[in-house]
Amino acid sequence: MASVELTRVAKSFGSTKVIHGIDLRVDDGEFVVFVGPSGCGKSTLLRMIAGLESVTDGTIRISDVVVNALPPRARDIAMVFQDYALYPHKSVYENICFGLRLRKTSAAELDRRVREAADILQIAHLLDRYPRALSGGQRQRVAMGRAIVRDPQLFLFDEPLSNLDALLRNEMRTEIKKLHRRLRATSIYVTHDQVEAMTLADRIVVLSGGHLMQLGSPDDIYHRPVSKFVAGFTGSPPMNFLPASVARPNGVALVELAGGRERFALPARWQALGATLVGRDFEFGIRPEDIGVEARGNDVAEIASTVIVTEPLGAENLVTLGTAGGELTARFAAGVAPRPDEALRLRLDLSHMHLFDRQTGEALRP
Amino acid sequence: MRRNELFTAGRLRLIAAAVVVVNGFFPAVWILLTSVKPELELVRKPITYLPHEFTLDNYVQVFRQQPLGLYLANSVIVASASTVVTLLVSACAAYAIARLRLRHRDLILSAIIASSTFPLVTLLVPIFQTMRAVGLLNTYPALILPYVVLSLPVCTLVLVSFFQSIPRDLENAAMIDGATRFGAMWRIVVPLAAPGVFTAGILAFVNSWDEFLLALSLNSAARMRTLPVGIALYQGEFTFPWHIIAAALVVAIVPIAVLIALFQERVVGGLTTGGMKG
Ligand SMILES: Nc1ncnc2c1ncn2[C@@H]1O[C@H](COP(=O)(O)OP(=O)(O)O)[C@@H](O)[C@H]1O
Ligand SMILES: [Mg+2]
Repeated sequence: MASVELTRVAKSFGSTKVIHGIDLRVDDGEFVVFVGPSGCGKSTLLRMIAGLESVTDGTIRISDVVVNALPPRARDIAMVFQDYALYPHKSVYENICFGLRLRKTSAAELDRRVREAADILQIAHLLDRYPRALSGGQRQRVAMGRAIVRDPQLFLFDEPLSNLDALLRNEMRTEIKKLHRRLRATSIYVTHDQVEAMTLADRIVVLSGGHLMQLGSPDDIYHRPVSKFVAGFTGSPPMNFLPASVARPNGVALVELAGGRERFALPARWQALGATLVGRDFEFGIRPEDIGVEARGNDVAEIASTVIVTEPLGAENLVTLGTAGGELTARFAAGVAPRPDEALRLRLDLSHMHLFDRQTGEALRP
Repeated sequence: MRRNELFTAGRLRLIAAAVVVVNGFFPAVWILLTSVKPELELVRKPITYLPHEFTLDNYVQVFRQQPLGLYLANSVIVASASTVVTLLVSACAAYAIARLRLRHRDLILSAIIASSTFPLVTLLVPIFQTMRAVGLLNTYPALILPYVVLSLPVCTLVLVSFFQSIPRDLENAAMIDGATRFGAMWRIVVPLAAPGVFTAGILAFVNSWDEFLLALSLNSAARMRTLPVGIALYQGEFTFPWHIIAAALVVAIVPIAVLIALFQERVVGGLTTGGMKG
């Protein structure tokens, strides 16, 4: 088992800087997910940890050993690739035991471990097949088997599920989570899918443009995003943003939407901060599940809206609404299915509201 | 009937293929037929196409009259050695060009292509003088070394394109599994590039097997002659013993034909599919 520590790690390809000084510590046994839009440098960062890319600047430690100059084979890691990267000319059995063979494991031990890994992943019946005779999901399992059979100190995953269809993806996601509960191996998992990140991670690292945007538990990332970028990246559908400003006409700080056509008081815990915000431009953020038609809790704002479309999902309905300040998406219970053009009084649960600076995107905290 | 119906794409292709096959095979078939006819039948008129009198005597004669076995052995040694060396060197060169982040990669590739465009005659004198200077005339290396050099560019180019078709992550996976970079190349890339390696190997082998000019100039001593030189020098002995020469030619062609037939099996693709998502 291992910890991983990155200190001011940077990467340039030629003169293009793609990773800008990342500091990060992954604890022993932890499952950390790197998430961010395509091209933000997730894979590059992972491959530097694997030793497949050189480190331009900074230090990478695995179990407190600086590994910058170590080749991948000396790092005691396993990696599952996006395209599986199974050896096409080797059987499933040989694919799984390739690493053990290279390490001169005895024949009996090797066979025992391959069969154990195959049992865990339910691929024992596939051992004699070749990769070309496997379905996508089976290839994925073989790739996982190849990783776990070596019992490495660190697991790396680069978008391992992105080539599977939705159903299989959910199944394998659960499988990976079960596997982690069982093996408790330190894992770093790269994905662009925030659902995977939320469901799998002990902690999430949100990346954008080679910068670390936020590092925190799924709960932190979801409920306490530090920026509009992070807030907009999580949740599906993601958080709603409406241009807003703050006014304080008679000692009470108000949020004004649509140039004051819609206004409501900031909750009590925001009042002190609110007094300092007058005159600046903000984005008001509210998640779809915090918009309702009935009042919940104390800090509620009412605004007028018109239903644009309702998308039934069975267990719930996604409703797109037009308001004076702009469009909102709300998540209503299955019983609440308003018709298009219907006028609705919306109740926004302000105990879960967010304000972001419109220029910098930075979140404000009361 | 409209003209373009007469010359459909399918028919044109068939005609073109027939021309190529006849043009390529007629001489070989003719030599094969000649080699099993007695000498008298060759000069008889009218011409007989299929042998009236089938004989293998020419094959016995060809090994008796001349040390054809020796020439054959020389050719096998020179061609095999130059093929092995060519493959080793070109595989490493191609790997570096296809995989490593080389500076001036394109320049290197252009230089390789350019070097293969020099006509052999222009190289003959310098190569001859070099070999004489280092005392290698009439030795195997005198031919092996230049043959390697001559085959390297085309073999390297063939292998570059094969290596490039193999996903990098296969090697990355092997390196993470515990292989060195060379080990990953050897255990993963080379087996997967087998069709390319065989193609390059056949090119190198045939290049060396057929080569005449250098073989004649550098290794003219009787005991060092390769097949093409040995057979060509038959003519000078007395008359043109066509039936014997034909038998010698068949002896020279057969190893190549067998080699290609054997490896064609291996060259059939399908080996690289299935490891990746597709
Ligand atoms: N070998 C490379 N040479 C040059 N640029 C690269 C190379 N690999 C990745 N990049 C660039 O680095 C950035 C990050 O890439 P990557 O880590 O693959 O992103 P992600 O995995 O988050 O989608 C991208 O802009 C990409 O174009
Ligand atoms: Mg990626």
